[in-house]
Amino acid sequence: MKRIGVFICWCGSNIAATVDIDRVIAAAQKMSGVVYADQNKYTCSEIGQAMIKDAIKEYRLDRVVIGSCSPRMHENTFRKTVESAGLNPYYLEIANIREQCSWVHKDKEAGTAKAISLIRTAVAKAAMNEALFAAEMPITRRALVIGGGIAGIQAALDIADTGFEVDLVEREPSIGGRMAQLDKTFPTLDCSACILTPKMVDVAQHEKIKLITYAEVDKVEGYLGNFTVTIRSKARSVDLQKCIGCGECIAKCPSKVASEFEEGLVQRRAIYTPFPQAVPNKPAIDRAHCRFFTAGKCKVCQKVCPADAIDYEMADRLLTNQYGAIVVATGFDTHKLNNYGEYAYGKHPDVLTSLEFERLLNASGPTGGKILRPSDGKEPKTVAFIQCVGSRDKAKGNPYCAKICCMYTAKHAILLSEKVPGSKAFVFYIDVRTAGKDYEEFYTRAYEECGASYIKGNVSKVFPDGDKLLVRSVDVLSGALVELSVDMVVLAASVDARADAKELAQKLAVTVNAHKFFTEAHPKLRPVDTQTAGIFLAGMCQGPKDIPETVAQASAAAVKVAAIFSKQSLLGNPTVAEVEPKLCSGDLSCMAVCPYGAISEQVVEERRGREMVPRKIAQVNAALCQGCGACTVACRPGAINLKGFTNQQILAEVDAICL
Amino acid sequence: MQQKVEGYPLKEYTTKICQIAKEALENREVTAIIGWRKKDFWWQSPVVFLEDPADVQQLVWDPFTIYSPVKFLLDWQESCAAKVGIFVKGCDSRGINRLLQDKRLERERVAVYGVPCGGKADAEKIRASFPSKEIKSVTLIGEELVLAVGEREERVKAEAYLLDKCLSCRHPNPVVYDKLVWEEVSPRQYADESRFARVQAVESLVTEERFAYWQRQFDRCIRCFACRNTCPACNCRVCIFDQAEPRWLGKANDPADTLNYHIIRAFHVAGRCFECGECERICPAGVPLQELNRKLIKGINDAYGDYEAGLDPTDVPPLGTYRGEDPAGFDES
Repeated sequence: MKRIGVFICWCGSNIAATVDIDRVIAAAQKMSGVVYADQNKYTCSEIGQAMIKDAIKEYRLDRVVIGSCSPRMHENTFRKTVESAGLNPYYLEIANIREQCSWVHKDKEAGTAKAISLIRTAVAKAAMNEALFAAEMPITRRALVIGGGIAGIQAALDIADTGFEVDLVEREPSIGGRMAQLDKTFPTLDCSACILTPKMVDVAQHEKIKLITYAEVDKVEGYLGNFTVTIRSKARSVDLQKCIGCGECIAKCPSKVASEFEEGLVQRRAIYTPFPQAVPNKPAIDRAHCRFFTAGKCKVCQKVCPADAIDYEMADRLLTNQYGAIVVATGFDTHKLNNYGEYAYGKHPDVLTSLEFERLLNASGPTGGKILRPSDGKEPKTVAFIQCVGSRDKAKGNPYCAKICCMYTAKHAILLSEKVPGSKAFVFYIDVRTAGKDYEEFYTRAYEECGASYIKGNVSKVFPDGDKLLVRSVDVLSGALVELSVDMVVLAASVDARADAKELAQKLAVTVNAHKFFTEAHPKLRPVDTQTAGIFLAGMCQGPKDIPETVAQASAAAVKVAAIFSKQSLLGNPTVAEVEPKLCSGDLSCMAVCPYGAISEQVVEERRGREMVPRKIAQVNAALCQGCGACTVACRPGAINLKGFTNQQILAEVDAICL
Repeated sequence: MQQKVEGYPLKEYTTKICQIAKEALENREVTAIIGWRKKDFWWQSPVVFLEDPADVQQLVWDPFTIYSPVKFLLDWQESCAAKVGIFVKGCDSRGINRLLQDKRLERERVAVYGVPCGGKADAEKIRASFPSKEIKSVTLIGEELVLAVGEREERVKAEAYLLDKCLSCRHPNPVVYDKLVWEEVSPRQYADESRFARVQAVESLVTEERFAYWQRQFDRCIRCFACRNTCPACNCRVCIFDQAEPRWLGKANDPADTLNYHIIRAFHVAGRCFECGECERICPAGVPLQELNRKLIKGINDAYGDYEAGLDPTDVPPLGTYRGEDPAGFDES
């Protein structure tokens, strides 16, 4: 017979107001196996924990049940408590009588009855709890950062500065990401390139950082401390060792294609560096548009290259490396405006997205930093900015707020007034959201000092009117119909998760939300962790955020990585699945549902009559298993059991509630 | 009338089966044959194991070779390392695929002889029309059932006397075989419509009526486990209902436990049941188990697109995989 101690926590009045603690204690004392029951105002306090430790010694308790808050809150605290009193930490069982009882009930009678039932359940399980031990695992002290935008750059630099090796993988030929496309940054109007490019150079020069550009993650296997990642290094067709970055090839290349970096406003060559400050500042051949690769003739770049760096034979290479932790910083896509025909985007050249407008502002952009209309090259005197295009729009776009548009539109209005004297900005908005340090002041500056007119209303239609654009809306505050004739319209297109975010999520075995943004482990308390240990998130790939937030998150992810690498070895999770060989039929339905690839086939020898015959059954890799329990429900004969949550334990709980 | 009227008279069918079995045993292609033989009464054609070529004359093909021989393969495989030959109807052949997909059968240890099947007779329906004691034999010729009743010969339309499950059979031809015993037949035209007819009838009841309906059905259950024992999808080495620790199912005749048994059984075959209907046919208490199975099949089809189990052992069953576009159950937006 087990000697079980029951400790009921008041949690101040949180539990005690709705649950009659004395009655719960009286009931617990009568439960099978319970030799001691007591209460405390705050069990998690030092006094409360001391009471448990003393009782374990005095009453020779070998199982402990605590009726308190959710195990998510204090299970670890109390595990340490019982461990310090000499018990295995997994002898502890917590009954959640706060979140699942006192907080959701008003009736004290019903609350008390339910608390007793929950305690009885926990006592039944505790009696069956067994000692569990965590296995030690080695760590590979090298991190992988996926994505070379500001989030990935910051995370890589911070990890590298703690002294650990980092590989930074970037899909494009250069790092820099979205921030490199921006002209100025709110709310200080710093030049984006001026603050970004030094960091890009730092990355390239840091002895602990290995930059792998023009490459993508192909496959991820393994687990915290020991990931095996296959990276596809795409054929750049330019030998980075030989190339001196002179740019001769680019100048002579005859094939032109719309520049992604310039948002399609100008053309780039088929052999190209995305932008002048690219790191590495060495070109790549875009084979889909290269004349040699499409038509079989040309080779001009090879002829003009002084360094003999052009290699048409180059093939994709697969690099397989070991990593201890991964930071995902893959950024975002801008929302496609196919559903917004009423704004004439794509039909009229003077209707631009904000990112296109950003390029017009930029000194290295297509207009050399002059704001000019794409249609006739004239300076626009009046510009209408339309907010929330695809944001906060359940019907046609994203239900969420893209978070950055209010601020960058204020920035655009300010810059417009500076660059085009006598110009006027009209901003059509639903709400203006300026939560952030110095943000409200910045927005105020746009309408007080720079003369921007803010009109609360959804624009219903934009249509050409001679060489102007007519914008029709309602001013919600006055109720008046507004019709404005403007020279240019700028649409604040929403932000989407990367189109292939789900694909990457599947490779990483992490989850995405309904909008394909990667899901953090806890929205408040673990905002940079994923549900998969050892994989962290930074920047827009987790949800809309601006540069300061992105950088903060990247640094947070870096600390998480460094915390892992600072340990000599890792303790595994002891609540893992295990297979009972004699029950296993070997159909491996568990293997099909395991999200962590932790289950494989093994051959066991079994006696058949007088001979031993081989039989295939499932086996669990305890290092890979995360204890999710998916396999245990897929297994029809119940041959696979989750330690700490065995079928026997769960059934004992069910019986305790129902019988 | 989809059935081909031509073809072998019944005796010739049996001759053909005997001949294949004899050759296979004599050539030592297999060490045993699993087929059907005639027992004492006209409605009995149970499964038989034969090892001696001289015994193959016992084999028979008649309107009552209903029983699925597939589940016996598990015992055979456990008992020895030799190869066995097995005769399978369309429904039985999907049981072979079931075992293959569940990795419970070594394909190379089985020679499968596929028997295209025009449907099997329901002895109950025959007894309702003819005096059982006077029936000497029943044979199926084309779409006609030929009965020797006393001294006379009766010819009736077979369709009225076939098992319900055969009337809704979509795959009368074996889907896996090494040798096809004779040419294929066509499935019945209305098989598709009748497939979910009973499910829809139960679905149309209001919740309380539906619960009462199932309570009535399960009340009759004596928990003999015949449904599980005959089902090729119930092929676990140790069924959870036979385990003592933990004890998943109480031993007492408690309606809650009976309900528990039936729900767990139905869910264990969900996405895996290939609709042979043997569970329901074999049930001594007349529990309409096929309704439960087909309710789950219908649900799976609605949620994940049409899927038929047991047609291809290499396919990916909808409940055994995860796809990005699977309905999530919760809408996060």
